[in-house]
Amino acid sequence: MSNAVQTNWAAQVHGAAKIYGSGENEVRALDHVTVGFEKGAFTAIMGPSGSGKSTLMQCAAGLDRLTAGTAFIGDVDITKLGEKALTLLRRDKVGFIFQQFNLLPTLTAQENITFPLDLAGRKPDADWMAHVVGTVGLADRLNHKPSELSGGQQQRVAVARALVEQPEIIFADEPTGNLDSTSSAEILSFMENAVREFGQTVVMVTHDPVAASHASRVLFLADGRIVDELMAPTRDSILDRMRNLGD
Amino acid sequence: MFSYALKSLRANLTRLIATALAVILGIGFLASGLMLTDAMRSGLTGDVEEQYKNVDFAIIATAGSDQSGGMDFQLTVPASALATARSTPGVEAAAGEIQADARVLRADGTTVNLRSQGRSWIADSELNPLSLDEGSAPKGSAQVVLDRKLATEAGVSVGDTVSVQTPAGTKQFKVSGISSFGRQDALDDGGTISFSEETAVQVLNAGTPGFSDVLLRTSGDPATVQAALEEALPTSVAIQTGEQFVSDAAESASAFISILRPVLQGFAYLSMFVAAFVIFNTFSVVVTQRFRELALIRAVGGTPAQVRRSLIFEGMAIGVIASALGIVAGAVLAIGLQTLLRQFDMEIPGAGVKVSTYTVVLCMIIGVLVTTLSVIVPAFRAGRTKPVEAMRASAIDNSGSSPVRAVFGAIFLLGSVALLLANRFVGVQWFYLTFGALFLFIGLFIGGPLLARVFAILVRPVMGLFGMTGRLAADNAVRNPKRTATTANALVIGLFLVTLVTVSGEAMKTALVDQLSSASSPDFIISSEGAIDPKLVASINKTEGVTNIAAVKSSVAVESTGQSTFVAAASLDQLTKSAGLKVTAGSAEAVASGSGIAIPDFSNFGGGALSSPGSVASAGLGDSVSLRTVGGQDLILPVVAVYEGSLESFVGNVMNPETFKTVVGDKPVTRVFVRAEPGQADAVGQRLEKVLQGYTGVEVQPGNFIGQIVGSIFDFLIAAVNALLAMSVIVALVGIVNTMTLSIFERRRELGMVRALGMTRQQVGRMVRFEAVLIGLLGTLVGMGAGILLSWVVISSIADGAIDLSFNWARVGLIFLVGILVGVVASILPARRATRLNMLDAMSEA
Ligand SMILES: Nc1ncnc2c1ncn2[C@@H]1O[C@H](COP(=O)(O)OP(=O)(O)OP(=O)(O)O)[C@@H](O)[C@H]1O
Ligand SMILES: [Mg+2]
Repeated sequence: MSNAVQTNWAAQVHGAAKIYGSGENEVRALDHVTVGFEKGAFTAIMGPSGSGKSTLMQCAAGLDRLTAGTAFIGDVDITKLGEKALTLLRRDKVGFIFQQFNLLPTLTAQENITFPLDLAGRKPDADWMAHVVGTVGLADRLNHKPSELSGGQQQRVAVARALVEQPEIIFADEPTGNLDSTSSAEILSFMENAVREFGQTVVMVTHDPVAASHASRVLFLADGRIVDELMAPTRDSILDRMRNLGD
Repeated sequence: MFSYALKSLRANLTRLIATALAVILGIGFLASGLMLTDAMRSGLTGDVEEQYKNVDFAIIATAGSDQSGGMDFQLTVPASALATARSTPGVEAAAGEIQADARVLRADGTTVNLRSQGRSWIADSELNPLSLDEGSAPKGSAQVVLDRKLATEAGVSVGDTVSVQTPAGTKQFKVSGISSFGRQDALDDGGTISFSEETAVQVLNAGTPGFSDVLLRTSGDPATVQAALEEALPTSVAIQTGEQFVSDAAESASAFISILRPVLQGFAYLSMFVAAFVIFNTFSVVVTQRFRELALIRAVGGTPAQVRRSLIFEGMAIGVIASALGIVAGAVLAIGLQTLLRQFDMEIPGAGVKVSTYTVVLCMIIGVLVTTLSVIVPAFRAGRTKPVEAMRASAIDNSGSSPVRAVFGAIFLLGSVALLLANRFVGVQWFYLTFGALFLFIGLFIGGPLLARVFAILVRPVMGLFGMTGRLAADNAVRNPKRTATTANALVIGLFLVTLVTVSGEAMKTALVDQLSSASSPDFIISSEGAIDPKLVASINKTEGVTNIAAVKSSVAVESTGQSTFVAAASLDQLTKSAGLKVTAGSAEAVASGSGIAIPDFSNFGGGALSSPGSVASAGLGDSVSLRTVGGQDLILPVVAVYEGSLESFVGNVMNPETFKTVVGDKPVTRVFVRAEPGQADAVGQRLEKVLQGYTGVEVQPGNFIGQIVGSIFDFLIAAVNALLAMSVIVALVGIVNTMTLSIFERRRELGMVRALGMTRQQVGRMVRFEAVLIGLLGTLVGMGAGILLSWVVISSIADGAIDLSFNWARVGLIFLVGILVGVVASILPARRATRLNMLDAMSEA
């Protein structure tokens, strides 16, 4: 990870710091973090509440700006990009799945799925679209509005949206946070499949060890720093590490 | 938490400001109208009181008991009355007033002030409203006194010689003195030029002795003096006490204010009505947005009444503060308007603004009442919030799309169209028209949300051409159809009236102008409000290319029954040759020889509607008419001719000059009709302009000018009404800003999300702008549609097809553009707010 730009990283941050407020109210949400997200890998970020998970994800994804350090998406230094270029980069290279408020209520499921492509004025590849929609099991729900879909179905639409544009990297902040275990498991297996079968890169923030066990690598954050890392995790090995960190 | 509190405060502030702004605009409009008219009235009446403060009695001309038509400005007090008054015991001083346009010219021939007046100098210093600051009173035929205003503007002082233009031509006068009026520099707002009494008769009244009124200063017992005067004076004049005279003069000086004031008020109330929509909408949205908060209050034990009261109280508080601010805004607006007009040298009477208790109380009552009434419905809706709703996931605004609403809206709309069309087929019936129009609006307001949906379905494919932003804008515009409809309806009211006034006004104008222009008319009409000098009449006649002229003296005469009627001294023969009159019965010679009079035939103009009042109107050939002469006798005149032509309405009953003099006394010529050689009209017009140079107040107009005047009066009225309606359109604009701002606040998370997904700031801005324009477009289309429908019904059914609905497409297009512009302007602020939204803040809020 010493080389600044390496093509096998889908996204990376170097010496990333994020400070909120100033003086007595100063909060170091990120404290000189350096980390890379491998292409074609499924990375999970875990840590206690307030440890800086969302902040790391948002800064790496170009939703927010670092106080210090650099961030790359592919080989582009996004800290050097202007507002508009950054927006267009997000549109074309990054997919998002949020915990809630994921969909536009006026658009149908289908329209929501193609929304980023429509923004870019691109047409979705029909075969790929059909495949993704089929995979997430939404074929018969495409013309429904979000208000007519269950929470799990809505989240599947969000996953489909992220997959359809085949972005360089997908960031998901607690995508299963509001779902029951069955729905969670479905969402997670879609993402896992996308990584395994199509080489999609996914970074996911989660509190749930079961969810994290779907990933190929787990990063542990505490007080704005990466304190641990686990490859090929299982639910138990994760719980084990978390217990250790808690001490 | 702190940032949340700040944000909700900021959102509340926006809402408060926008609601208040609607009230401030409406009340400001109302207040400025009241303050300006108050100031004008007190300015005008104050001046009149100052002007006549030492007048004990006044002699005025009277046309009998019935002064209908308000044409008494043509009446004069004969010179003999002044002489009689002067010799009546108890009269200390008497002076006749004469007033006409007069101008001081600079060395290069340009006019110093276009609105200056010539007056006769009143020798008695107490009766004279003007006081002499320097020099001496004007004597003889070559001296004038200028007031300080004119003297300053012209840069002359006592002893200088100035060129003065009067109805009798331009002459050199020596400035014998400088006058002032009380503490002011000028009596007439353009300045006063005073002539000696004899000179005034010559230059201001074309040599015809007579006064607009005679002012008297008396001593001794007023009743005795009055009795003596009544005894001595002819019955064609009346004696008024000074008080009466001043109050009459004050009233007539400020008469137009009695019309102006209610008109301005009416338009201000309309703006407040539109403001009511804005307030209603804002509070409805707020109740929706605070739904869970309200439910929570209810859940923890707040009673419906408490919830209700808190909102009504909020509305009242806004009403009080905004009305007070509105009054201040009104004062600022009034002063601004005065200053602005002064920049264009159009001084309006009365300086500063007059803040009366009436104005303040009325504005406060109206403002608070409208605001409070507008929040009642939302407040009751808030009171009905069920506690369990605090636990529900989210409040979805489904209101405004129920089938019941759709059915009722449709019933009213169809009913109104049926009623309006009934007009079209059975002729105009006020019953059908009133209820048709009423139903149209009830239908639009009930069915508005549905209409908004249909509109969105129609525009969505079109907006899709603008890409994702366009499509989302179309969808967003009808996410809350009721909210959109109410917002658009505020605009509908204003634009409906603008369209109705413009389209039907235009149609009536075209019809009337066509009718007037098709009638026969002279090539030119030369006219003066005062007098046309006999020498000038002669030069007009001698002008190259002029084939015929008819010089006309006009007056109001009194019938023996006491009613007034118009009479004119002119040659029917000349009128036929120069103005295209047609004698349809009897003979012109009989009139010329003095054996009787000619009366006009009004059948072309719908009978009595336009005719001069009086029994003459119903007379025919062979009847006779009895008129009261200046000498006080009754004169019976047989009708020996009937004529037809385009000038009936302002020539009246034609008689020969001798008969005229017997009936109303000597009067100057005020109109000359001119016939030019065929094909030479343009050249003759230019020559006439030259001939008239140097005679103030005498104008040449093309013969069909009645048509043109009617046309320009219509144009002026249409423009004036539209200008007054502008305020309600502006209030509607504030409504769109408000709705958009609230909607954006409501959708901030969603906006954050689309920004994260890659929508650029520009795209977000465009989306918001599109949405505002769509709301504007909806209001514009509905308003214009209703306006055009109603114009069509009214016009086509009133006139039995005589008037076509002639579209002035440029104006109709302009209204449309204004509607769109309202949307565009309204979008600026919300769009900026939406693009500045912080993506992460927007998303991270719970
Ligand atoms: N906009 C902000 N202003 C000030 N401080 C912030 C802001 N956003 C985050 N923080 C602070 O930064 C730190 C990291 O926050 P972050 O949201 O990244 O935590 P997290 O790990 O995602 O927590 P959770 O698991 O609860 O979502 C916290 O202490 C938080 O209070
Ligand atoms: Mg988080």
